[in-house]
Amino acid sequence: MASVTIEQVRKQYGAVPVIHGVSMDIEDGEFVTLVGPSGCGKSTLLRMLAGLEDISGGEIRIGGRLVNDVAPKERDIAMVFQSYALYPHMTVAENMGFALKLKGGDKAAIGKRVKEAADILALGPLLDRLPKQLSGGQRQRVAMGRAIVRHPQVFLFDEPLSNLDAKLRVTMRAEIKDLHQRLKTTTVYVTHDQIEAMTMADRIVVMRGGAVEQIGKPLELYDRPANTFVATFIGSPAMNLFEGSIGDGQFVTDGGARLPLPAGYSVHAVRTYGVRPEHLALSENGVPATVVVVEPTGSETHVVVKIGSADTSLVLRDRIDLEPGQQIAVAPDLSKLHLFSASGTRVN
Amino acid sequence: MSDLAIPTVQAKVKSERSSIGSLHMVQTASILVIALVIVSPLFMLLIASLKDDRFQILADMGSFRAFWVSSPTLSNFAEIGNLSGELAFGRYLVNSLIILASTVGAGLIVNSMAGFVLAWGSLRGRALILSLVIALYVIPQESIIMPLVIMVSRAGMTDTFAVQIVPWIASPLYIFLFYQFFAQLPKELFEAAEIDGASVFRIYRSIFLPLSLPALATVSILMGIESWNQYLWPILVTQTDYARPIAVAIATFFGQDSIYWDRAMAASVLMMIPILALYLAFQRWFVSSFVGSAVKG
Ligand SMILES: Nc1ncnc2c1ncn2[C@@H]1O[C@H](COP(=O)(O)OP(=O)(O)OP(=O)(O)O)[C@@H](O)[C@H]1O
Ligand SMILES: [Mg+2]
Repeated sequence: MASVTIEQVRKQYGAVPVIHGVSMDIEDGEFVTLVGPSGCGKSTLLRMLAGLEDISGGEIRIGGRLVNDVAPKERDIAMVFQSYALYPHMTVAENMGFALKLKGGDKAAIGKRVKEAADILALGPLLDRLPKQLSGGQRQRVAMGRAIVRHPQVFLFDEPLSNLDAKLRVTMRAEIKDLHQRLKTTTVYVTHDQIEAMTMADRIVVMRGGAVEQIGKPLELYDRPANTFVATFIGSPAMNLFEGSIGDGQFVTDGGARLPLPAGYSVHAVRTYGVRPEHLALSENGVPATVVVVEPTGSETHVVVKIGSADTSLVLRDRIDLEPGQQIAVAPDLSKLHLFSASGTRVN
Repeated sequence: MSDLAIPTVQAKVKSERSSIGSLHMVQTASILVIALVIVSPLFMLLIASLKDDRFQILADMGSFRAFWVSSPTLSNFAEIGNLSGELAFGRYLVNSLIILASTVGAGLIVNSMAGFVLAWGSLRGRALILSLVIALYVIPQESIIMPLVIMVSRAGMTDTFAVQIVPWIASPLYIFLFYQFFAQLPKELFEAAEIDGASVFRIYRSIFLPLSLPALATVSILMGIESWNQYLWPILVTQTDYARPIAVAIATFFGQDSIYWDRAMAASVLMMIPILALYLAFQRWFVSSFVGSAVKG
């Protein structure tokens, strides 16, 4: 196990920069997820950690050792690929034991380590099968098994669950988390699924366009997003954002609605007013709104309403009969507002 | 978009249906042609090899008796065990087999390694080398053969096995075939092995080569046939029976004073057997490599 330090790391392909000076500290034993929209450079950063891409600038340290020019096999890391990349002609046991065999361990010792890893992942009965004889979830577990037999310093995952169906994804999510709690190996996990990031990570790194937008614990990002990008990226359904300006102690949206502010709030540089769907409630003397769509999910009801000219989502815990077109009034929880400046950074 | 798509799909179905009849005719016709052009001479050859009178073979050639033997005999094959003498069938066969096995064996290793490095190696100027390799492919063997003869005779290599093997081991066609095969395997496979701690050679040997059975089979068959049928080159570089292959030997049966039609027929039959065996041995993968790429393509 080891800490990972990334300092001002840059990457360019030819003249095209794709990572613009990313820095982060990952503690020993920590589970960090990298999230961000497609093409933001998550895989590139992970591959630089693995040594599969060279680094155009900056420094990467694993366990204190500078690894910029260290070959992948010397970095003591293990990587799980989105496609699993199992060796098709090797059995599960051979796949898992390959790295150990290359290191020159004796057969019995390798067999023992493979057996241990197989037990952890419930792969015991499958050890003699070929990858093509496994289901998607089983292949996924073999890919993890191949990583854990080596007892590496760091695990790297690149969207390992994206080829699985929704249900299996939830199961495997829990399994990976459980595995991490048992092994306590430093883990960097790439995903574009913010739920995956929220549920699994000790800390989340939100990236966009090759730069870090915010780093923090899942609930920190949820409670205090540093900017409008993180605000809409984390949380589902996404946070409602209203553009407008402050006047008479209220927030007047460009669409003409008047939204309440906490008493005595006087910073004038607010351009964007954010409130999460779950922090809006029906309230008699709230902001007038017109129901557009009602989507019951069973446990809660998702409602889209128009406030001013803006479509706004609500998540209601109670079962309330609402009809499209109906006039209602909603009120935000004033202690959970998110206010942003014109440049999109948080001001409250 | 979908409105537009429907009529074209229907049109396609219709044209497919009406083309089934003509497809049938084309099939039948091509089977007939194959039977006439390829199978009938083969059959004739087989029959002739069982006739013991060489003058009779010649006399029968122009009629339907070419396809009939009244008293079959294996006497033409009597010399199969001869390793020396005038009709050293055995020797020529063994020579051809040695040349084939060495060429194919070394060729598989050399060409697959070159293809692998071109596909996955980190050497500089890879693209340039690849385009040179492809450019080399358009040069016909015959055009370099005279300078090559001079080179090997200067080197004192004539009338050896090596001279019939070494020049044909590396081949742009097979390098390219392997290159293509390796290049279409996923990058993650290479990277996973790299992270697992495998050297580039180890990745080649333990991961990519075992996965390339279809390519190995295809190259084995093509190289084998090419080596087995070498004719011009061995005529130019062999003077004695020592390393003479069977294809050349058969030609020498048609000497000036005695034409061994009977022995030549038998030798031709014998000559087909090993290459057929090679084909049958690898045919499963050979075919699957074409089917595989067809389905994927
Ligand atoms: N070999 C390459 N050459 C040039 N540009 C590349 C190369 N690989 C990646 N890029 C570019 O780098 C950027 C980041 O790519 P990367 O694969 O890291 O994105 P990602 O965040 O992993 O996206 P996704 O969620 O779709 O996997 C993209 O704009 C991509 O086009
Ligand atoms: Mg990616």
